[in-house]
Amino acid sequence: MFNAPARFRRLLGGNASAQRTWLEERSWRWAGVCVLVIVIGGGLYGATLGLWRDGWQAVFTAIKFPLLVFLTCGGNAALNGCLGQLLGSGMGFRQTTLAILMSFSVTAMVLAAIAPIMLFLLWNTPSLAAGNGIGGHNVTLLAHVGVIAFAGIIGVRRLFRLVVVTSGSAAVARRVLFGWLAGALLLGTQLAWVLRPFIGSPGLAVEFFRPDPLHGNFFQAVWRAIHHLL
Amino acid sequence: MNDEPPALPPRNSFEYVRMDEPPTTWSVISALLKQPGKVVCELLEGRAATVLGALSLVAVVALGLYGLVVGSLEGGAQYGIAPAKIVGGSAVAALICLPSLFVFLCLNGADVRLRDVVSLLMASICLTAVLLVSLAPIAWIFSQSTDSVAFMACLHIVLWLVALGFGLRLLSKSAIIAWSGASSRLGVWACIYVLVCLQMMTAMRPIVGASPTLLPTEKQFFLAHWMHILGGSLEPGRD
Repeated sequence: MFNAPARFRRLLGGNASAQRTWLEERSWRWAGVCVLVIVIGGGLYGATLGLWRDGWQAVFTAIKFPLLVFLTCGGNAALNGCLGQLLGSGMGFRQTTLAILMSFSVTAMVLAAIAPIMLFLLWNTPSLAAGNGIGGHNVTLLAHVGVIAFAGIIGVRRLFRLVVVTSGSAAVARRVLFGWLAGALLLGTQLAWVLRPFIGSPGLAVEFFRPDPLHGNFFQAVWRAIHHLL
Repeated sequence: MNDEPPALPPRNSFEYVRMDEPPTTWSVISALLKQPGKVVCELLEGRAATVLGALSLVAVVALGLYGLVVGSLEGGAQYGIAPAKIVGGSAVAALICLPSLFVFLCLNGADVRLRDVVSLLMASICLTAVLLVSLAPIAWIFSQSTDSVAFMACLHIVLWLVALGFGLRLLSKSAIIAWSGASSRLGVWACIYVLVCLQMMTAMRPIVGASPTLLPTEKQFFLAHWMHILGGSLEPGRD
């Protein structure tokens, strides 16, 4: 019998053998539940991300945060499937996508669980109206980067265990995961750039997208920053 | 309750056996990704014409699709020019390198037939093309976000090298299976192939950006061309 809460307990507990059996199911119900968890968990956390700047920014980021996850997952689905099969993960396109969705849903659950702590942090952060906008922005940015990285690492560790079971080799799992992460990093950073703002700079307006969202890219911005430093 | 699934069978993705069913385009591509040994076996000892046809078709379509993404930086006529140059350039580069691949395999004492070498090279090109298509969403989102030809050219080169690495790995493994030990000189051939492809891109420039002429009016080696490109700024033009 399909029991979603029990499955999520096993997913969080890292029961890779059970997860492998879920990958073989032909029904899309489990994938639907994972999507729902990402929407709710990612949305909740996204709201805490934007709340420092403005209530509307919280709403916008609550929509954009899960959207970023789905666009990254969808955009890399073909690449992840190809790499998984080529490197011997033992998973096809459908199983690869589901495994990555499960990993993101673990991350979303961790983020949702941390959301109250981030709200507490927000309560203690200098507000925009208090005149220390840059300080508040920097605290918010650094704290959220740290928390998202932490939740992401937990999701990846769960995925690693699963790939070890499906491939039968830790070395293969490392190679597969490296390929998937490289793809996610490349596409995810650029999609995050396109979907900006998430926190909202103190000096800029609150808006869903910047007026020219497709102008420039993340890596060029980093390149310019290094160039200016030198 | 013990819900442990049964142990996995030992995995050998390069098992040299025939395909279970009559090859179709989809089954050939699926096998190329999951069990390339089956595709190699069919090419060397089985339904070679059907499999080669499927590989060629997919390679042309996939390279054409990736060409569309490459052309999307400039748009307009580049939507047609870039795919044509990529498909044509890949075919010419393969033809240029085919004799050397044949000779390098023969130098190892392998009993090779030209038909088999063509087949394996096509399998390698097809795998590279399929991987390029799977990387296309990444290239597309960047091409919509920048107008820096230098940045996009670098990105396309990196993505192409990643895909090519898998293609050459397949060729090397196939050579080991088909003609044992024949891969020892393939490293040298792979370097030559990469150099030929890079020079082909230079000879067919511009593929990423636009130009008043279809082909370059001045001859240049790819190193000089790349120094010239990278000498310019990576900053987008309208920043």
